[in-house]
Amino acid sequence: MSARQVPVAWSPAKWAYDAVLLAGVFGYLLAFMQLGPLLQDPARPYDGASLAIAAHGSCAFLLLTLALAIGPLARLDARFLPLLYNRRHLGVVTFLVALTHAMEVLGWHFAYSATPPLVAMLSTEPALGAAPGLPFVPLGVLALLILFALAATSHDFWLEFLTPPVWKALHLAIYPAYALVVAHVAFGSLQSAANPALALLVTGCAALLVVLHLAAAFRPAPAEAAPHAEAPWVLAGPADAIAEGRAVIVQPPGGEKVAIFRHQGRLSAVTNLCAHQNGPLGEGRVVDGCITCPWHGFQYRLEDGCAPPPYTEKLATYRLRLQEGQVLLDPRPNPPGTRVEPLVLP
Amino acid sequence: MSGDFFIGWAATPPRALRGVLLGAGLAVGLGLPAAGLLLGATAQDPAPPGYATVPGRPGLPDLPSEEALRGVILDGPSPLLQLPGGRTLILADDGKYGPTLDRDALRGRMVAAEGFVLRRGSIEMLVLRQPPTPLDDVATVPPPEPLGRWRITGEICDGKCAGGAMQPGIGIGHRACATLCLDGGIPAVFVATAPVAGHAFLVLGDATGGPALPAMRDLIGRRVTLEGAVLRQGNTLVFHAAMP
Ligand code: FES
Repeated sequence: MSARQVPVAWSPAKWAYDAVLLAGVFGYLLAFMQLGPLLQDPARPYDGASLAIAAHGSCAFLLLTLALAIGPLARLDARFLPLLYNRRHLGVVTFLVALTHAMEVLGWHFAYSATPPLVAMLSTEPALGAAPGLPFVPLGVLALLILFALAATSHDFWLEFLTPPVWKALHLAIYPAYALVVAHVAFGSLQSAANPALALLVTGCAALLVVLHLAAAFRPAPAEAAPHAEAPWVLAGPADAIAEGRAVIVQPPGGEKVAIFRHQGRLSAVTNLCAHQNGPLGEGRVVDGCITCPWHGFQYRLEDGCAPPPYTEKLATYRLRLQEGQVLLDPRPNPPGTRVEPLVLP
Repeated sequence: MSGDFFIGWAATPPRALRGVLLGAGLAVGLGLPAAGLLLGATAQDPAPPGYATVPGRPGLPDLPSEEALRGVILDGPSPLLQLPGGRTLILADDGKYGPTLDRDALRGRMVAAEGFVLRRGSIEMLVLRQPPTPLDDVATVPPPEPLGRWRITGEICDGKCAGGAMQPGIGIGHRACATLCLDGGIPAVFVATAPVAGHAFLVLGDATGGPALPAMRDLIGRRVTLEGAVLRQGNTLVFHAAMP
């Protein structure tokens, strides 16, 4: 049994993640604003403030693309799972870079005027329908507000306060935010871009995300478990098919997915949804005698679905039976934390 | 621990994943700066070389320079300063403000005006340090010369940013900024796609010769075709355009 799990602590891996991320961001901004101009067409120079606006805006777009690519990448290939852990830091950095972009625009395009910058920002574009295209500034403002809401609620406090399903639903707003950012660029600077680099970047990134999400969505889902003659039991497949320390995921007809783990010759079944952020527990492993979630490493005891003390998360457990080498599952969940004696394999 | 299984709170990732993680780290740590370099190097002002110039005729040198000038204030959609010899400058204050001057008192009068001169292509703007002071000298103002009705394609810009105060200073990406400038009284200019009577840009007004804004506010920053009377004032054209 383990109580080593410390989900919010800093580990060397986390430091390394953040260091690489910040090196990438600062490297990007320096290369864009300091080295790029040395290679620019001197006949068509950008001024420093406009260059900073473009650098931070495009950097935020790339970081957002990266944040959205990690999810499907990790679903397609579990080796990318370490990138998912700490993705919240990537989200917060993305918001800060986008905020810097907005502040630079306010301090350059919307300053030096009798109109207050925020009023100017929201009142200087043609109304919807008054000119071709869309007013692109409000699209960016809306995306920034969403990024702010997500960054502000990225701490575990909010996850607990809002409950994982609500928190997850809220954080799905990253997708409309991305669409708003693409529209912000498409109806804004792309309209007057002098070369195709920005267009290629935006369409390339958006296309990559669509392809990754489609590929992840069309991964074969676990087949629905066949009902057993004795209701409500369902057939969960041969016990031999479950490798030591791992699980199979079973989809009972009309019910929630269940993860059936094998540990030291005994089987235990819990919900497939992690109590932290609904991560797919069945893709996890048994580590130190505990079910360990592949997303952030939360752990649960096999016999009662409870996180080891001092943690308090609980999973719904399920009853299992063995019949001629076949595992049978009762798809009715027990209340979270209910003890179920593991099924001893012969 | 379990082979290739990563646990977030573990101090180090499992050995089997180090290759993938190193690849991802390099992609971020080196790939992002490489992308920044590419985009920074290819960032280009949408204004092409030779912007607002007549082909074959070089533009004015584009460095802002301090100047103390004497000339006549011409009225129009926005006041102009015409120097002896015909050189004509559009006028503005610092920031996104039109020129502070008493148009009724100074119309047709000789003034002394100081400030710095912004230039891009053939657009020339005097950014006034203080309101022009009237002089006693007698001015001879040549009457505006009507050049007939024209249908012209181009972009409505603010004279200051199109004149080089910002780069980029034109296009949709800069539209909101230009609108704020024009709202503040900076003169509107119409930068034509092809020369008009030997000029690359025109000072823009509405059909009655008044300021282009607010009527043309929604047309700023994109290519439009406008029709109206063109007048020559000094070495500048003024366009009294109707809404399309
Ligand atoms: S540990 Fe975060 S979802 Fe499971």
